[in-house]
Amino acid sequence: MASNTIVDRVKTELRHYPPFDQLSEEMLASLAAQVVVRYFEEGEIIFRKGDAPKPFAFVVVKGSVNLYDTLNDEDVLIDICDEGDIFGVRMLFAHDNYYSTSKVAEESLIYAIPVEHFKMLIESEPKIALFFAAEFAAGMPERENSLVHAIALRKEFAESPCKPVLVENDTLQIRAIKNVVTCSPDISIQKAAKIMAERNVGSIIMVTENRFPIGIITDTDLRKKVVAVEENIKSRPVSEIMSSPVFTISGDQTVADMIILMMKTGLRHFCVTEDGTAQSSVIGLISEHDIVTAEGNNPSVLIKEIMQAQEIAALPPEREKAENLLVSYLQQEVAIHFISNVVTEVNDAIILKAMSFAQASLAAEGWNAPEVKFCWLSLGSEGRKEQLLRTDQDNAILYEEPTPEEAEAAKAYFLALGEKVTQTLIACGFKKCPADVMASNPKWCKPLSDWKEYFQHWILSPEPMALMHASIFFDFRPVYGEVRLADELKRFILEKVVAGRGFIQFLAKNALQNPPPLSFFRNFIVEHGGKHANEFDIKSRAMMPLCDAARVLTYELGIKDYLSTTERFEKIAEKEPALKELAQESAMAYEILMRIRAANGLKNQNSGRYINPNHLNKLERQTLRNIFKTIERMQNTFNLRYQLDYIRG
Amino acid sequence: MMFFAKNKAERRCDKGLLPETVCRYVRAHEHPLAKRTLLRAVRFVVFDTETTGLDVKKDKIISIGAVAISDFAIQVADSFETLIRQEASGDKESIPVHGILKKDLAMAATEQGALESFLSYIAGSVLVAHHAMFDIEILNQALGRFFDLKIFNAVIDTADFAKRIEKGPFSSQDTKAGDYSLDKLCERYRIPIYDRHTAPGDAFITAQLFQILLYHAEKKRILTLGEIL
Repeated sequence: MASNTIVDRVKTELRHYPPFDQLSEEMLASLAAQVVVRYFEEGEIIFRKGDAPKPFAFVVVKGSVNLYDTLNDEDVLIDICDEGDIFGVRMLFAHDNYYSTSKVAEESLIYAIPVEHFKMLIESEPKIALFFAAEFAAGMPERENSLVHAIALRKEFAESPCKPVLVENDTLQIRAIKNVVTCSPDISIQKAAKIMAERNVGSIIMVTENRFPIGIITDTDLRKKVVAVEENIKSRPVSEIMSSPVFTISGDQTVADMIILMMKTGLRHFCVTEDGTAQSSVIGLISEHDIVTAEGNNPSVLIKEIMQAQEIAALPPEREKAENLLVSYLQQEVAIHFISNVVTEVNDAIILKAMSFAQASLAAEGWNAPEVKFCWLSLGSEGRKEQLLRTDQDNAILYEEPTPEEAEAAKAYFLALGEKVTQTLIACGFKKCPADVMASNPKWCKPLSDWKEYFQHWILSPEPMALMHASIFFDFRPVYGEVRLADELKRFILEKVVAGRGFIQFLAKNALQNPPPLSFFRNFIVEHGGKHANEFDIKSRAMMPLCDAARVLTYELGIKDYLSTTERFEKIAEKEPALKELAQESAMAYEILMRIRAANGLKNQNSGRYINPNHLNKLERQTLRNIFKTIERMQNTFNLRYQLDYIRG
Repeated sequence: MMFFAKNKAERRCDKGLLPETVCRYVRAHEHPLAKRTLLRAVRFVVFDTETTGLDVKKDKIISIGAVAISDFAIQVADSFETLIRQEASGDKESIPVHGILKKDLAMAATEQGALESFLSYIAGSVLVAHHAMFDIEILNQALGRFFDLKIFNAVIDTADFAKRIEKGPFSSQDTKAGDYSLDKLCERYRIPIYDRHTAPGDAFITAQLFQILLYHAEKKRILTLGEIL
């Protein structure tokens, strides 16, 4: 007779996870009483591909386990199981040897449950049977070799079957996907799910014999309806869970039409038929994803509107529109580099417009614009083209060397210009920089020679203050005016950096200030104490280490272009074969972090910097884990590359 | 000492002076486990007792919780829990700690019955407890009263074992008091703490700690029973 207290403890743990959460108390108790608690260290193999099945199914309680398949003598990662995942159960259904090798990815606590009990459970509880059937119907997990591979796959997946092609620029017609996957309404739910998995599509349309649409099933239907029903999915026809009738349209819709239709109907899938009614055959399918990305293919509409604004007051609403675009992009999982390009374009357009308003109003106030060329610099994240949410503005003005008699007038004019532009940006929701790094500050509105002096000082006598500036100023990017001034400054900086090797080491050391958390328990990755206790600081713990590393390498390798962190890593991968894979992985990692942060910020209406780990879903947690490993590798590489272990203090 | 105690107990069994369950326990320990027994082959019983107080001479056991580890895996099915009805309600202070109320105790086993079932549960195993000396001592007191008997099992103290694993066998460094408390060790080995201060709850936590320590021992090439007793 097992100890009730201990059985209850195990029960409580299992109840966190499906399908155990659906079991009756007695059922769960009888299962918990049979649990064997196993502890595994990193690198241990639990079972190998081809082994005869062990008499246990495994549930990960803490830690994570990777499943590998062997292809051409290479181990390919096919799935990651973390807290709450069940593995090693396929043979319950297939009575076969293990089809994969399970290797412990980090020290783990695992509940092993005797297979006999599992079988009884499946036989007596239809809910549980369905849970597993649906799991397996969804097909094998994608083969993911590494982060890079996984993301490439995901991109492919996102772009391949449904890349809308814009017909004309103005009407913005969406071309529907032509190769729609269809089936008869009489096939079983399981079979339909299988077809979707095989064809790699998110929806399938039920059609009559002459291809008239009757109903539709999407991924969401499978998740929500299938797991909730109590009968056999092998025998029940797909028509029982399909959404019917299907909303049919003709094939000549514009994006605007589709957006209005989507809002009106609340639907996410529209079936294109020959004459637009359900009484003709299916020729295509348009999903919400197609609509949003189609619009995204042409943010030029938004930029056009900004450029045509007649007054400052017209700009803030346009910037709001960009925010809405951002929301829908994130929901649609549009590639981050695409999103940040769009947002950067919009922000730059606003700066350009703010600039022309400022110049016009200075002229109206009777100022004479000096004959001195100048350049508006965006700094920090905006300089790196990676501001998704509107954070504080950082900017500066750089102007060419004026003659002594021009100097005073130029200084006064550019300061007034900086003041006006920053005010407009504040009106558009770009908050004032608390450290006052703005073109309206006399300190940061300077001729080229002064800027060179600044940088020279930062490079030759690196000090903590210089480092703070490094992350802002060393990421400058010309947005308006004479780009050659910015180029000249960049050339100068690279020259100085090469001369003073100590600076690079200093920067590199600084890039290691935040070692990534490597969690065994989820709550180990959070900040202790203070206002954000129990939250995870994604900016300083994950993004900054990567962003800093990219900056150091860019300056060390003498890369002249004005790049985002991701682009920097891509460039580094090109220039430095030894770092290729790590840099590529870091680029991916950084994009994911940007996405997580932006989504979190939009959800909570803040900067998105602090994340409650309990609000992350399983995939996000796994992804973060992988990212931490990438960061750790990068930091180890830095230690060796810059011999930082020898530098003290 | 142990040898004579066993002999005496066996003679009393032969004369039919001890209950059959107790005699089965005695016979299971006729020969100690061989020193070269592999740790993976040993059945460990990790246990904890709740008592009416801390004086082994006068206080009594009010509950025992235990769970077995074999092949380094915690076997929930092979666990044990008992409440003991004690006539003398112990000192009032310890009641809040273990939260066992008088009404629960009314449902509980007699002390003799509980001891007999615990003995048959632990027969032939190695006992493990945190600060095991106290638990063994108070068990021996009770066993002495009823059966004129002592625990014959080999015993491992997880506090000592952790010290040994962390600092090596000949470490003479003084350790800070509290560094090897159950709470501190759980923090160090990242074991989440639930149900503290119930005998089975503490036993389950101690089992998870011992499980990790066994792994560390194996990594240090400590493979047999003889090396850790």
